[in-house]
Amino acid sequence: MRRVVITGVGLNSPLGNSYEELYENLKNEKCGIEYVPEWDEIDYFGTKIAGVVKDVDLKSIPRKYRRSMDRVAQLSAVSTSDAINDANLNQETLSSKRCGIAFGSTMGGNETLFEYIPEVKEKMSFRGQNSMAFLKIMSHTVAANLAQMFSIKGRNIPTCSACTSSAQAIGAGYESIKYGMSDIMICGGAEGLHYLAGGVFDVMGAAATKHNHEPTLASRPFDESRDGLVLGEGSGALVLEELEHALARDAKIYGEVIGYATSCDGEHITTPSKEGMMQVMETSLEDACIKAQDIEYINAHATATQMGDIAESNATFNLFGSETPVSSTKGHMGHLLGGCGVVESIICLIALNKSFLPKTMNFKTLDKNCANINVLGKNMLKDITIAMNNNFAFGGINSSLIFKDYKGK
Amino acid sequence: MTREDVYDKIVSVLVEEFEVEADDIKMEANLFTDLELDSLDAIDLMVTLDKELGIEIKTEEMKDIRTISDVCDFALAANEDE
Repeated sequence: MRRVVITGVGLNSPLGNSYEELYENLKNEKCGIEYVPEWDEIDYFGTKIAGVVKDVDLKSIPRKYRRSMDRVAQLSAVSTSDAINDANLNQETLSSKRCGIAFGSTMGGNETLFEYIPEVKEKMSFRGQNSMAFLKIMSHTVAANLAQMFSIKGRNIPTCSACTSSAQAIGAGYESIKYGMSDIMICGGAEGLHYLAGGVFDVMGAAATKHNHEPTLASRPFDESRDGLVLGEGSGALVLEELEHALARDAKIYGEVIGYATSCDGEHITTPSKEGMMQVMETSLEDACIKAQDIEYINAHATATQMGDIAESNATFNLFGSETPVSSTKGHMGHLLGGCGVVESIICLIALNKSFLPKTMNFKTLDKNCANINVLGKNMLKDITIAMNNNFAFGGINSSLIFKDYKGK
Repeated sequence: MTREDVYDKIVSVLVEEFEVEADDIKMEANLFTDLELDSLDAIDLMVTLDKELGIEIKTEEMKDIRTISDVCDFALAANEDE
């Protein structure tokens, strides 16, 4: 069986713009959530805080490619450039038919969308509209733009499933390599910050509103006092590579993808299902040919909504019991939507390589309605071999990825 | 509107929105071979000139445009038609 390893990492998150920076900020218990002053202007919109990406030079993207990118694709481009450089891939390899892309986001470019549609509707005319707007808005804007910029000519799999977008991208890349269709897949996802997403959760009563003036206290996964999720933005990219291919070019290896599953509850458009979550985790374990007790750390999706955290804790408890360390890193940076799956997968790689399990920010007392899982309230130093990353999305979409450290063949 | 007015506007749009080096811009510069723009850029240049100068330019009439001089001619002709 072909094995799949990770040979390049890039990210732009509210908690850092590189693997090492993310690790340092997790270790130092930093929080990337802040007050967003512009959101004060919006009525019937209770959440005023978000995880924001900073210190990224988006102008480093050549205009030729940047012209058709909104923020979501621009962040992805910077992360992908970093991942490709990190993996030390040459252009011939990148442009071969054996190298592809799997990348997704919840939405295309919202900033452009919110300028374009009102203008066209108001005038009922396309006069004055440039040719780039749609290319920034379309659902596969990220995967399409990345392929142009990096001249990637193999498989192109846009994975646009909201909060599971980038986890499904990693899964699709893993399967593409494992089953022989590709040797290298650039995988990830992103979201650009926009009030639209904040408003959507606010309307549903799922956004945090109690800590607008204490942003670092706002996102409280699994805690009894949580009051909803905090929106975030960010992007991440992983270079997935077939093991022999990576060894032949003496590539640095961050870890191995050994299991993946995706599924749908098929029950309710937003209410999560404990059974659906359990199923996807079990299927991922089966794919990895390991048992639940082999998992030594779980990065939970846990967005700090009432129902989501309860369902996830129950699903996790039923499979893993009360011992396995679990944390949600959304307290540190908010919910990156299309970007969360990949950034949280990178956190699993940090856990494997640095023997460091991050705490759940702002977690003090487990909600009595949650099952009794081992939520980390403090950072833990522990040498581990296998970690799981779970993500769940609107529509009942579920994903579960399993990573293993790589200590040679 | 003089030819000079149109040229100055084209230069400022190319520099600010298309990030073309000011030193590369000359009346006879070819948009595609000298300034490395493509057909979509040419359309968007015209769209911007429409916004800035209020001249209506139909993209199907643009296929013969090559140089900045052509753009000036086209914009002036469109202006006269209005």
